[in-house]
Amino acid sequence: MKTLAIYSNKGGVGKTAAAVNLSYLAARTGMKTLLCDLDPQGSATYYFRVKPKLRSGAKGLIKGGKRVFKSVKHTDYENLDLLPADFSLRNLDIKLNKLKRPQKRLSKILAPLKDEYDLILLDCPVTISVLAENIFNVADFTLVPLIPTTLSLRTHGQLLSFCKKRNFDVARIYVFFSMVDRHKKMHRELIATAPETLKNVLDSPVPYLAQVEKMGLHREPVVRSSPGSAASKAYQNLWDEVQKIVRSTDALDVTVPSGLQF
Amino acid sequence: MLGPTKFNLPAESDVEQFIHESSVPYRVKKERVKTETIRIYDTFDWRLFNKSLVLYSCADKLHLRKLSERQILYSVPISSVPVFVREFPSGRFKEQLAAVVDVRALSKLAEIQSRSMPYRLLDREGKTVVRLVYEEIRSSRSKKAPALAAHLWLEPVRGYSKHAQRTALKFEQAGLTVNTEDDIYFKGLKASDKTPGSYSSKLAFQLDPAMRADEAAKVILRFLLRVIQVNAIHIEKDIDTEFIHDFRVAVRRTRAALGQIRSVFPVKTTERFKEDFAFVGQLTNELRDLDVCLLKEEAYKAKVAPVVRKDIEPLFDYLRKKRSEAFQEVIHELKSERYAAILKDWETFLNTPPQDSPAAANAGVAAITLARKRIFKKYKSAVKAGNRISESGDDRMLHVLRIHCKKLRYLMEFFASLFPPETINTLIDQLKRLQDNLGDFNDLRVQEEVLLNVAKQLSTSRGQTERIFLAIGSLVGALAGDRKIVRNAFAQTFAGFSAPANRELFENLFATQAPLSDR
Repeated sequence: MKTLAIYSNKGGVGKTAAAVNLSYLAARTGMKTLLCDLDPQGSATYYFRVKPKLRSGAKGLIKGGKRVFKSVKHTDYENLDLLPADFSLRNLDIKLNKLKRPQKRLSKILAPLKDEYDLILLDCPVTISVLAENIFNVADFTLVPLIPTTLSLRTHGQLLSFCKKRNFDVARIYVFFSMVDRHKKMHRELIATAPETLKNVLDSPVPYLAQVEKMGLHREPVVRSSPGSAASKAYQNLWDEVQKIVRSTDALDVTVPSGLQF
Repeated sequence: MLGPTKFNLPAESDVEQFIHESSVPYRVKKERVKTETIRIYDTFDWRLFNKSLVLYSCADKLHLRKLSERQILYSVPISSVPVFVREFPSGRFKEQLAAVVDVRALSKLAEIQSRSMPYRLLDREGKTVVRLVYEEIRSSRSKKAPALAAHLWLEPVRGYSKHAQRTALKFEQAGLTVNTEDDIYFKGLKASDKTPGSYSSKLAFQLDPAMRADEAAKVILRFLLRVIQVNAIHIEKDIDTEFIHDFRVAVRRTRAALGQIRSVFPVKTTERFKEDFAFVGQLTNELRDLDVCLLKEEAYKAKVAPVVRKDIEPLFDYLRKKRSEAFQEVIHELKSERYAAILKDWETFLNTPPQDSPAAANAGVAAITLARKRIFKKYKSAVKAGNRISESGDDRMLHVLRIHCKKLRYLMEFFASLFPPETINTLIDQLKRLQDNLGDFNDLRVQEEVLLNVAKQLSTSRGQTERIFLAIGSLVGALAGDRKIVRNAFAQTFAGFSAPANRELFENLFATQAPLSDR
């Protein structure tokens, strides 16, 4: 089992779109996948047409155990489950801070789910506090969508120093360019110089495309609703790269009972 | 979460209309019809069925599930099903299968067609909350083929079990019944004229304690004859090594029955068939020795010193060549007139009704009386032989003890149905532990001998370097080391077998004072 966090300390960078499409693609390869929507806005939950509700809300989530199991919903796609968002997750930071050892609580909450899934994806809210520490503690890898602008790069620098200070392994943080607009000179230039300025940059940028925005209308992953589209291809390329990272440390033993017995 | 539920539909019902009517207030979304070929696999001796397991392929995947249960235990993507477990991709599926199937070949037993029409029930958000599948199973692709089964599956969606319960209730109110009993596995096999469990080399017959000993002997021997015949037919196809193995065991048991169930047939008859089956038995000796070596190929390679490990390869090429020759020889012999005559005469003899006046000293004795006497006597000989080894430390006596134990084991198994199963099985298990030790010792000794013989043959053939002999030497050395370990374990294993508690069990079950002919 591997845990992959889709994380950014900057909002509106295409986190949820990436989380939804990557989790769908992972499930399609046969991996039992769980997407945890930790963002109180619940966009990923909305995309999958699920009600944004957890049993006993954020409080129940923090307590962990069976409640978390019971909150899991199967999406409309084979091998893909969702732990929905809940509006009360907006107070998750405050609630975590009240605990004795708040930094590792998320690992404890997700531990019982590990046997059931090959891959757990975390769609994270914008945060760089105790919840962020929880995320870095539980995630085997972190994927950061980055809009190719100077401001984004600066924010990413902040994230890396945050991680270094707390001894998180920055080698497990990967970056991909998101919402890329090829018409913009700055985007082009920053992407061109990225190999020198940034570490762990993936080669598959996701362009800024209307099809991705339309996911809100179709309420399905774009790789499902428009499989031949440019957006779909971009996510597929990204997944091909991410998959290699996720599978790198040890081979996932995918045994996927599916469908009905004959 | 509940698993899928299978509902029986009333005959002549319009599925589509029924689903729409009974699914209010949900929106029904019909999905593409799926047709799939399901192929069921097992070994010739039904090893999976005997463990209540079903192995089947469907849509490029191979699944393993429990019989009459819905839950699939393991699945692997696979383009064609391998014949042997060793050819499977590594993983839990392979491990699980290997523990049951071992070296036997998997073969396709039945092929059935499944045509499923999936439906999704959507809530107001357009989210799937229940899945329904109408499935028809036929024996062939032709629509004219009669449906073996037709069901409506209700599949709950995780996190939406209330919707599934509500729909199930509606189905029941509409007159649908839950189907819990039948597994399509049986119908599929029946359509292919297969009966699960129809073959087993294990002795399966019920003897009557009061029946005449000669009749009981014939029941046992008829069963063994059937095993010999069934396996002989399949040996020629060379599907796996176990047809030869089962054939040999049945021949050996036949010889043991002729020798150990004493004085139940006329002396002349017994002597004639003892000689005949000794002939039949030795036909396959060489082939089996080579099979054993080749089955252990990987283990052997691991035993060879790393420095000459790759030099052992020509040995296995040579063994495969020899095996192929030995196999042709066996086929030739099984088609010979002599073999046919032996089997024909034997069958005629076994099917001849008994004469009113017993033709031999023990023929008219009650089966249980003779069984007790012979088993107890054999037990005593085994203990005596074992004690002699413990005293003298003579390895040659291990062979004598092994033969005594084998005869004892066969006798106990022949007559097992006459005794309380729990007690006799405990005794057989105890004996089996000793036999395993003796068997391992003997196997290692035979394998060393086979390898030394092969080395001798190879030394006269051209093109062999000295390295192969170093490699064979290294292997023989490793086997001799293993043999020493097995030998050291003998004393303790035998102590368990000859312990007073075990002796008491033997005495209670088999010791008898009834006068009987000693022959």
